Amino acid sequence: MLRARWYKVVNDLFGNKTRTLLIVLSMSVGLFALGIILSARTILSEGLAESFAAINPSSGTVRTAELFDEDFIESVRSMKDVQEADARRNVSARVQTKSGEWKNLTVFVVADYDDIRVNKVAPQSGAWPPPEHEILIERAALSVIEAQVGDVILVRFPNDVERRIRVAGSAYDPAQLPAQIDGTPYGYITFDTLKWFGESYGFNELHVISTHPEDKAWAQQVVNRVKDKAEKSGYTIPLSMTVEPGQLPMNDVLQGILLLMGFLGVLSLFLSIFLVVNTVSALLTQQKRQIGVMKAVGGSTMQILGMYLVMVLAYGVMALLIAIPLGMQGARTLSGALAVFFNFDIHSMDVPPQTFLIQVAIGLILPVLASLVPFVASLRISAAEAMSSYTMGRGGFGKSGIDRLLSGANVWFARNFSVRSILLSVRNTFRNKGRLALTLITLTLGSATFISVFNVRASLSSTVEDMIKWFNCDMMLTLDRTYRAEKVQIEALNVPGVTKTDVWIHLPTRMIRRDESESGMIYMFAPTVHPDSLIVSPTIAEGRWLVSDDDNAVVVPSAFLQDEPELHLGGDIVLKIYGKEHTFKIVGTYVGMAFAPMIYANYDYMTRLTNRVGEADALMVTMQSHDEAYVDAATSALEDHFERVGVRVSMVATINNERAEAEASFDAIVALLLVMAILLALVGGLGLMGTMSINVLERTREIGVLRAIGASNRNVGLVFIREGIVIGLMSGLMGAALAVPMSQGLNQALGLAVMGVPLTYSYSMPGLWLWLTIVIVLSVLASLIPARTASRLTVREVLAYE
Amino acid sequence: MNSSTANPLIELRGVIKVYNSLAGSVTALNGIDLQIFPGEFLVVTGKSGSGKTTLVNILTGLDRSTSGEIWVNGEPLHKFGTEKAARLRGRTMGVVFQTFELLPTLTVLQNVMLPMDFAWRYPRREQRKRALSLLEQVEIADHAKKLPTALSGGQQQRLAIARAMANDPSILVADEPTGSLDSATAKAVVDIFEGLVQQGRTVFLVTHDKDVAKRGSRVITLSDGEVVV
Repeated sequence: MLRARWYKVVNDLFGNKTRTLLIVLSMSVGLFALGIILSARTILSEGLAESFAAINPSSGTVRTAELFDEDFIESVRSMKDVQEADARRNVSARVQTKSGEWKNLTVFVVADYDDIRVNKVAPQSGAWPPPEHEILIERAALSVIEAQVGDVILVRFPNDVERRIRVAGSAYDPAQLPAQIDGTPYGYITFDTLKWFGESYGFNELHVISTHPEDKAWAQQVVNRVKDKAEKSGYTIPLSMTVEPGQLPMNDVLQGILLLMGFLGVLSLFLSIFLVVNTVSALLTQQKRQIGVMKAVGGSTMQILGMYLVMVLAYGVMALLIAIPLGMQGARTLSGALAVFFNFDIHSMDVPPQTFLIQVAIGLILPVLASLVPFVASLRISAAEAMSSYTMGRGGFGKSGIDRLLSGANVWFARNFSVRSILLSVRNTFRNKGRLALTLITLTLGSATFISVFNVRASLSSTVEDMIKWFNCDMMLTLDRTYRAEKVQIEALNVPGVTKTDVWIHLPTRMIRRDESESGMIYMFAPTVHPDSLIVSPTIAEGRWLVSDDDNAVVVPSAFLQDEPELHLGGDIVLKIYGKEHTFKIVGTYVGMAFAPMIYANYDYMTRLTNRVGEADALMVTMQSHDEAYVDAATSALEDHFERVGVRVSMVATINNERAEAEASFDAIVALLLVMAILLALVGGLGLMGTMSINVLERTREIGVLRAIGASNRNVGLVFIREGIVIGLMSGLMGAALAVPMSQGLNQALGLAVMGVPLTYSYSMPGLWLWLTIVIVLSVLASLIPARTASRLTVREVLAYE
Repeated sequence: MNSSTANPLIELRGVIKVYNSLAGSVTALNGIDLQIFPGEFLVVTGKSGSGKTTLVNILTGLDRSTSGEIWVNGEPLHKFGTEKAARLRGRTMGVVFQTFELLPTLTVLQNVMLPMDFAWRYPRREQRKRALSLLEQVEIADHAKKLPTALSGGQQQRLAIARAMANDPSILVADEPTGSLDSATAKAVVDIFEGLVQQGRTVFLVTHDKDVAKRGSRVITLSDGEVVV
């Protein structure tokens, strides 16, 4: 048999089901978000690590312009600091999709698919290894080329040989960037098939694992040694790169997502606690008289405190019962979706027990701690005060300046127009300022987060626009080698729709540090610098952009100066280009994407320096219309024309596609942020509903008075609905202001995590209007149930209410 | 019992209570000297606002006096904090209010058991027996399993009296116990108090009902916070 006081606790818990449900739901939302984040982080981190370990990942890659054979691979394998090496052929081909559009296709040719030693590719479906004259497509790339296993696709190689080739199956290659993110699909064929395409045997891509793969600096040295060896063997190295140890491609983006999820999880938990404090305060207000009675019959503060703390613990247990299974399921769904998006396999969806323990500890301890403040305040008052008779205007309205202003006495329209009932709602809002503050904090944080998510989306678009606006063109072509710039430009202008052209060259370089060590690969882009150039200045952080008479001037990314402390604006940088060292002066730094460092130099100077005056290996084109369909059609026509005149194109990128792909890569982040923002809005809505319910309870007698003097059900209900709208609008507007610093913080965190630089700040007005609309609807909904309750109370009930 | 020879159960010496509010200070009790002796049925009367409820609150320790001394069973209540006052109240006093002040989420039986639970005075099984016995005494044992809201006003006040008797207190303090009842029910409730006095208990009853006041063994009247008769 329970003691009498515990019967009260049980009856209070289950006697007022709406209140219990409201508190439990509020707590559940925060714990659910926390559970999702903790569990998803673990599942994803372990899945990533396992996927990555399974492929025997490379420390770096060295690509050669000329082909090499097995002997060279063996010589690299025998290097002292090389743990393992393997090679493949990398061909930049083109593929025609079902809709007729030509897309880039990277084709890998592997000698023995059952003996891939580095960056292993695994079978996914269909045939394995790729049969002769058939191709396997990376599983994430099938949707990009709009094909399925069994389909026949048209592939064009750089030698202009086109073949209809059957997709015999799909492969899993987690070492590559997911095709839906970078827009480049991957295919796998054998050397027999390569021969069928008219290409000769040989490798051009070497994957190396250093002896200490976990040490990036060491790995870079080893990769540089392999590169030097290749150069000494007579190979030209257009690209060499070192990868982050233990990280799959897009790891930064995934980490960015997890970081944001962590932030939003903590925020939602924080809001839940506010909600618990608010609801518990309201509960205590409601039970104030009962607390007085318990004191009167001999209950000590500790005994009564114990009763209410057990009650809060019970709420916590109920919330955990909802939040733990839902959070676990949510984490599995989310992890599964992210794994598909980032193209890696998760072998185990098990959630470690410590995740539950953290949830249980937070679910039980935090609400108790949060409730202590209102409990102690409530228990401090004397029994007589707690039991004092009901007085009108509970909450002490009328003392502050705000109250006097809201009384309407000083507001001319209140004296001259019939706005009494509206003013009553506004004044009611301010009656219990403590409760109002807690509700506002909860809803304002929810509002700010929601608007910030839209701001982050807008900022991502602005960042992409910032990046793309440097390229004042519709399309860029990368050629398979250097051509006479004049010829390429004249041929391009012969194609209908092409209005303007420009050229550049790009060069692989490495920085030589003072201690003689070399950096990883740095791309140097050398655009023309004159008034008609199609490349305009990127956003300059410090210094200046290139001018036409610049010689050895370079503009570098601002993040690059942080990575290489010996560099500074106005100082020198030594770059190794085609085996020779050249000194350049840093004249400016730019703000921008930093997936890989890119250095800008003057085309005229660089072509002189590399004995390629009048040549170009990239072309930019402006079209008559910038419409996507028009640009795509003109691009196809240009490609066909170049094929006829013997200019081979290795890569095509339209600005529209680049923009869409860049934005698509952030869609997962934005979608996730939106889910979390909706959760926060839900917490805010629950908070508002709780506040309004308590307001109705607290003013039951007042409702009776209103009805006694002739107020209809509608009049009574409207008082509460308007009050809800006032709170909603106030929080919406405060949230709109708070969203400014919050989105700046998110832009900073997300930009740094994903790109190494903060995002370009942009405030989304559509996001603001959308939220203000939602918050009004939410306020009406949150007030509707309490308002209906209020309007349905009979005069007898309200007069009997205590 | 001869009140002049016995030691007082409760003694108030120069008790003053002042309420401060935005409207200014109000002196609710102005130097009350009062002795309550064992076995007395002391009735306090007075007009509304004379300080009757404040006197109840002060002598039960529900509120603190501004100055003066309150001695209960030889213990200085005026020096006690809220915790000690609650324990003293639980052991020695039962309080009955005009508006019953029953806990709506506890059954009739559980309402009576609650003070025993707080005071740890009786073993758990005995609590139930005792509560049932008290309910029988006030003739509502049949309603033991009901919630208080299912009872009539008179029955609720009987329940409040049973609850006040839970820990076998030496004194029952009742603040306008008949104020919310019709005259027939009020008479029945006062009969219960009279019966308790006959059993040797002390009752301190506040009322403004002259008919009720007549039934006390001693009657004092408050006016503007002072004992006038």
